Amino acid sequence: MTETIQLFVTCILDTLYPQVGEAVVSVLERCGVQVAFPAGQTCCGQPAFNAGLRGEARPMAQHTIRTFEQAPGRVVVPSGSCAAMIRHGYLELFAGDADWLPRAQALAARTFEFSEFLVDGLGVSDVGAVFDGTLTYHSSCHLLRELGVDRQPHLLLANVRGARLVELPGTQECCGFGGVFSVEQPAISSAMLERKLDNIQSTGADVVVACDSGCVTNINGGLRRGGRSPRVVHIAEILAGVGR
Amino acid sequence: MKPFNRRVRASLLDANLQFALDANAKRRITVRQNAFASLPGAEQMRHRAHAVRLEVIDHLDEYLEQFTRNLERNGVIVHRAADAAQAVQIVLEIAHAHGVQRVAKSKTMVSEEIGLNPALEAEGLQVVETDLGEYIVQLRGEPPSHIITPAVHLRRQDVGRLFHEKLGIPLTEDISVMTAAARKVLREVFLSADMGISGVNFGVAETGTLCILTNEGNGRMVTTVPKVHVALMGMERLVPTLDDLALMLALLPRSATGQKITVYANLLHGPRREGEPDGPGERHLVLLDNGRSAVQRSELAEILCCIRCGACLNACPVFREIGGHAYVGKGGGYAVYPGPMGSVVAPALFGQAEFGHLARASSLCGACAEACPVEIDLPRLLLRVRAGQVGRPEERAQAKPNAPWLLSLGLRLFRWAAVSPGRFALAQRLAGWLGRAAPGGWLRLPALTGWGLSKDFPAPARQTFHQRFAVRTASALGQAAPAAAAVAQAEAIPAAPLGIAYSLIGRFEQELAALGGVSVRCSEAELPGRIAALLREKGVQAILAWEDSALPGGLLDGLRLQGVGVVHPRAGNKWEDAQLRAGLTGVIAAAAETGSLLLTGGPGRPLNASLLPELHIAILRQEHLLPGIADLLVHPALRASAAAVLVSGPSRTADIEMTLTIGVHGPGELVVFCI
Repeated sequence: MTETIQLFVTCILDTLYPQVGEAVVSVLERCGVQVAFPAGQTCCGQPAFNAGLRGEARPMAQHTIRTFEQAPGRVVVPSGSCAAMIRHGYLELFAGDADWLPRAQALAARTFEFSEFLVDGLGVSDVGAVFDGTLTYHSSCHLLRELGVDRQPHLLLANVRGARLVELPGTQECCGFGGVFSVEQPAISSAMLERKLDNIQSTGADVVVACDSGCVTNINGGLRRGGRSPRVVHIAEILAGVGR
Repeated sequence: MKPFNRRVRASLLDANLQFALDANAKRRITVRQNAFASLPGAEQMRHRAHAVRLEVIDHLDEYLEQFTRNLERNGVIVHRAADAAQAVQIVLEIAHAHGVQRVAKSKTMVSEEIGLNPALEAEGLQVVETDLGEYIVQLRGEPPSHIITPAVHLRRQDVGRLFHEKLGIPLTEDISVMTAAARKVLREVFLSADMGISGVNFGVAETGTLCILTNEGNGRMVTTVPKVHVALMGMERLVPTLDDLALMLALLPRSATGQKITVYANLLHGPRREGEPDGPGERHLVLLDNGRSAVQRSELAEILCCIRCGACLNACPVFREIGGHAYVGKGGGYAVYPGPMGSVVAPALFGQAEFGHLARASSLCGACAEACPVEIDLPRLLLRVRAGQVGRPEERAQAKPNAPWLLSLGLRLFRWAAVSPGRFALAQRLAGWLGRAAPGGWLRLPALTGWGLSKDFPAPARQTFHQRFAVRTASALGQAAPAAAAVAQAEAIPAAPLGIAYSLIGRFEQELAALGGVSVRCSEAELPGRIAALLREKGVQAILAWEDSALPGGLLDGLRLQGVGVVHPRAGNKWEDAQLRAGLTGVIAAAAETGSLLLTGGPGRPLNASLLPELHIAILRQEHLLPGIADLLVHPALRASAAAVLVSGPSRTADIEMTLTIGVHGPGELVVFCI
């Protein structure tokens, strides 16, 4: 029987990059799963949580939990930090809350980041993607350190036909996004981003791949402002074969 | 502009500082990773270290009571200080009671925390910092910018100019020349100081041991040479047992400087005993609370696990941009502890209102938690500070977030929209409509938005994913999936080969050589001839030596026959003793895995013989070789001694531009004769 997964597309993809959401769906379907999309979903609450505004974050998290309680099956999130918010942030947010903690735990237990889900959840390492050019990979902090996902995207990219993968120096260094940090401390954030942009340029890669649209937005915003190339894409765009 | 933001701006514009911070991050991250890569079972050790520290924090009162009882039995005078003012008062009273005029200090962040130096100076005492980095910042009249490497913000040219101005030496860029100049000045300070003040890295509850780590050897000097030693310690810096201490000694140096082990680990129990040739007549310990017991009951309690290794500072991309001096409070005062740990410690100990904003200057990338040897979940604690959850769990309802008001307002609106799919869709449609006006699909926001300072923003899509998916569901499903290659399950990683047989002596020699020490194998009968030859080669006529009873029989007579002068240190004779260029000691036991020697003080076994001279010659009987540090720490002779030290190589520093310089306050050469 075909498995149906629940897609939590995240508010950034929904609003800024709907085409990435479509790439996610296309890759998942190619891997033999059916994609359902609970229409009531909005934002996981991470921006408020990271700002320290737990009173604002809680209702958003509760809304997300409620929405997905009506949608059985595994939940796939094409963003490392949003997946980490559900898996770890919610447990902190609802610590000591007898009503909501178990509900948060139940959702956390069936939530997976996109590349993690493909490799660990479906056992797929080759999605049949083709890309003619040089790729480099930026490790998103929350994906790497909170979820421990690093091998999975590398494996998926290694199997993209025609693609040459080059190492990004300092790939595990933060790009300076950090959600509200990037607007609260723009000077520090910019200095961190500058370091990332220089490293990207040093690789000579055609495209930078990341698994988090926060990093994508931050790095592309800096590249665009500086009139620099290349650009950053979400891993789903490469895996769907629509990366260029 | 707020003081913190002013500091940030200044740091970002300071090219010299940027160069120094960049070099620090690159080097320290690499050496730490290398040091851990060569440590089997490192992850399990971190788990264990976390558990050990949490156990102490959870039962702090009981461990403190046990610790204090054992210290007092060992003859240490223990003082409890509730706050900074009390701690300062205690030190002042001790100083006055002994008529102290000059104080030699080794590095202690607790003394920075309580503002000790200005308080002592106000009473007319002369206070000299003796850690090279700390000495440099003291001469500059500024606080340390890093908890391990105080002068990390400076380059060699800065130090060269400083020493030229303050010490009157010719202008130089040669770090070894600068180090030698500081050594000369500070040697005089060690010998003339009436009181030594040190910090404490770990207290061991079961034995009442004070463990003080030092690479340069100044931490040995200030605890051995002056007539009074006062140790300052945050009351949370305990481990239950010596076995736990062995674990910490494996983790801390690797995390701090990438060393397998610190050159000297002082293991102090009490003051000098009757008949002993050296050591202070009184040893005091000041246990500082200063808000720690309140933190222990708070939601930030986990920060008390911190062992002050500085790894999170080195790993932090924000610290790398702004440096330690940027971490200031609302009123502009230093946070004392900078970086990720400091951004939790400062609000926890010194007030959320004054220092809470520091926790907001983090991208929450988690590099700090990844680097932490005791696995403190720093991002989680930073988030709690932001949320105002700094009190007890019961007080959570009153927590006040410290987000700026405009951000709070924006996120309140965002929440209002996000809890209603209808409102959210409307907001998205509005955004999409605005996005249409953006040229080339990008918005150029003004700098005052924060984002617009260095980045453009992508225009929202005309149609959201919600809308696109709704259209799509009407169409057919995608084509049949291609045969997806099954992923081979990750093969089990074969266990590291354990079977490599090695002799303890072979391993010891290898490790000692890696530390910069020299080992010589010879028979007992050959010893006098070999040692005398070495001394002739170095042009040394007389040695500061342990007594006959503590050395192989007939060795000293043999040396005298070869024309070597033999001097035994005596209390009150330290100036003459310090003139001798070579010291001769036995070794109680040694650890093969780290190349470390255990030396215990006691009658006939002066510790100064291994500390004051430039050349330290040690005699090790091969049967006294043990596998690791843990074996040395449980040696009965250690527990029985008033003071002991683990020596791992010649003294060293890397306080100026992280450039390794051998031979600071302790011996620059270590030769071990293995018989």
